[in-house]
Amino acid sequence: MKSINAYGLSFVFVLMGIVFLSFYGLLYGDIDTDFQDLYLALAEYSDQDVNQVIIREIRLPRILMAIISGAALSIAGMLMQTLFQNPLAGPYVLGINSGSSLMVALGLLSGIGIFNSELGLIGSALVGAFIFGLFILFTASFLRNQIGLLLFGVMLGSFVSSIITILEVGSHAESLKAFSLWSMGSLNGVSIQQLPIICIVFVFTCFLTIFIVKPLNILVLGEEEVRLMGYDVKKLRILVVFVTAVFTGLITAFCGPIAFVGLAVPNLTRMLFKTQNHMLLLVANLLFGAFFLLGCDVVTILFSDTLIIPINALTSLIGAPFVIYILISKLR
Amino acid sequence: MINLKDIIIGFDKKLFSIDGISFEKGQVNVLTGKNGIGKSAFLLTLAGLNSTVKGMISLNEKALTSYSSKQLSSHIAYVNSSPKGVPFLSVDSYLFLGRSNYTNMFGKASETDLLEVEKAKTLFGIHHLSAKYTNELSSGELQLCAIAKAYVQQTDYILLDEPTSHLDYANKRKVYELLGKMANEHNKGIIISTHDLDLAFKFDFKFYLIQSKSLLLKQVKSFKDVEIEFDHQAK
Repeated sequence: MKSINAYGLSFVFVLMGIVFLSFYGLLYGDIDTDFQDLYLALAEYSDQDVNQVIIREIRLPRILMAIISGAALSIAGMLMQTLFQNPLAGPYVLGINSGSSLMVALGLLSGIGIFNSELGLIGSALVGAFIFGLFILFTASFLRNQIGLLLFGVMLGSFVSSIITILEVGSHAESLKAFSLWSMGSLNGVSIQQLPIICIVFVFTCFLTIFIVKPLNILVLGEEEVRLMGYDVKKLRILVVFVTAVFTGLITAFCGPIAFVGLAVPNLTRMLFKTQNHMLLLVANLLFGAFFLLGCDVVTILFSDTLIIPINALTSLIGAPFVIYILISKLR
Repeated sequence: MINLKDIIIGFDKKLFSIDGISFEKGQVNVLTGKNGIGKSAFLLTLAGLNSTVKGMISLNEKALTSYSSKQLSSHIAYVNSSPKGVPFLSVDSYLFLGRSNYTNMFGKASETDLLEVEKAKTLFGIHHLSAKYTNELSSGELQLCAIAKAYVQQTDYILLDEPTSHLDYANKRKVYELLGKMANEHNKGIIISTHDLDLAFKFDFKFYLIQSKSLLLKQVKSFKDVEIEFDHQAK
């Protein structure tokens, strides 16, 4: 067993990276600010100062959302990969996001007021993600081929996006606008008032994950071993899908679809740390996921003078070649 | 003691029946019979993963079904016929998973857990594999590790489904020697299924045959009794 210190050291480095990127993201952008503005914005906020408003109302929510989204999607990806014993699994490629998108589209485009509220949005995204998660779980019980399952998820995504297109055509201008804005996917859409609820759900779900770490470690050896060690496999699978759905649904509700983070980061951490200890993997995915998406966000800031890159496009740009790399190295 | 009286084994449908047999600690019990007759079904039933078609198995004078699967896992360990190697799962971590019954709810290792893993590695002579990943082992090495993992579970009984099927002669002999050692020196009750009979009969094991004609599990004394059965099959 590798000493914990070796892991600890790399965790500290990534943590430092996260802190550095966070400060960068808070201080720089279209308008550059300094540490004094930052201090004032956090400690003695006045909405008369433009710099403070930018930091507190725009940058702080975005940076925190980058950290939370990266961490949540990466942990969700780790859970899916262990559940399906498939390195190609992830919340985006298996279509869990699509479930959220479909439910949010049905809600928003129906024009019924309650679905346009915050809770309505989260609720429909979570329910959609959970239903699609169970659907994938059911499909995986007879579709044993790893690449087959991936294809199934991608097809599910295409199917849902065509339904959404049809819904869009037939809907009112106002609800269409609300949905289009959401579906573009961005870390900018969250206001500071929404942050507490997001943080609470995120932290709660992380704690829930800690309690399934032990059976997940055994699940790596197959479901028979889990049963032999006295766990209820069915309950475990549904719990894993539930946790994944909460992570994915939460992020999809507020940021729209963000692709490939949940596939690339868990693979990266397994390769880097060479372990199947899910407690370590949980921490690693939390930190590396946050670092990865925060890094992507900073890249979009750097280019913001000349080009506004949607975050979803950037993660796909990095994530898709990574999937191809795994495919090729597995098929060989 | 595992007691079996008037029992029908099978997956929903009958495969074979047992009139009266018991397995005790400190003994290696070898189960044989033709392919598909129900050896694996029998071991799965003893492991609590399958139920009997008829009858009640008792473990230490209590019905096997009255144990929760968690309780059962501290009495009976099971090793299936082809243990699987997993990328990035080291032999140490693999063996450690056998301690799942003893670790806390987050699966943290205690001193005792680490000590037991060390003891098992010495007994099975697999110290040199400690840091290797399980998917990089040969099938012989993996089989030894799987048995070692069942050993660290510290159960009274260990069930092994064809533990020697993928091994070369030297490794087969090594596995049988180790099974004998676990029974004699560590007082384990061991139940295995196998087709490697000519080698197994060189050891001081107890033998059982599932007769294909009567579909009955019977104890056999010598290799000759088994040969009669297979002669019968050949006709």
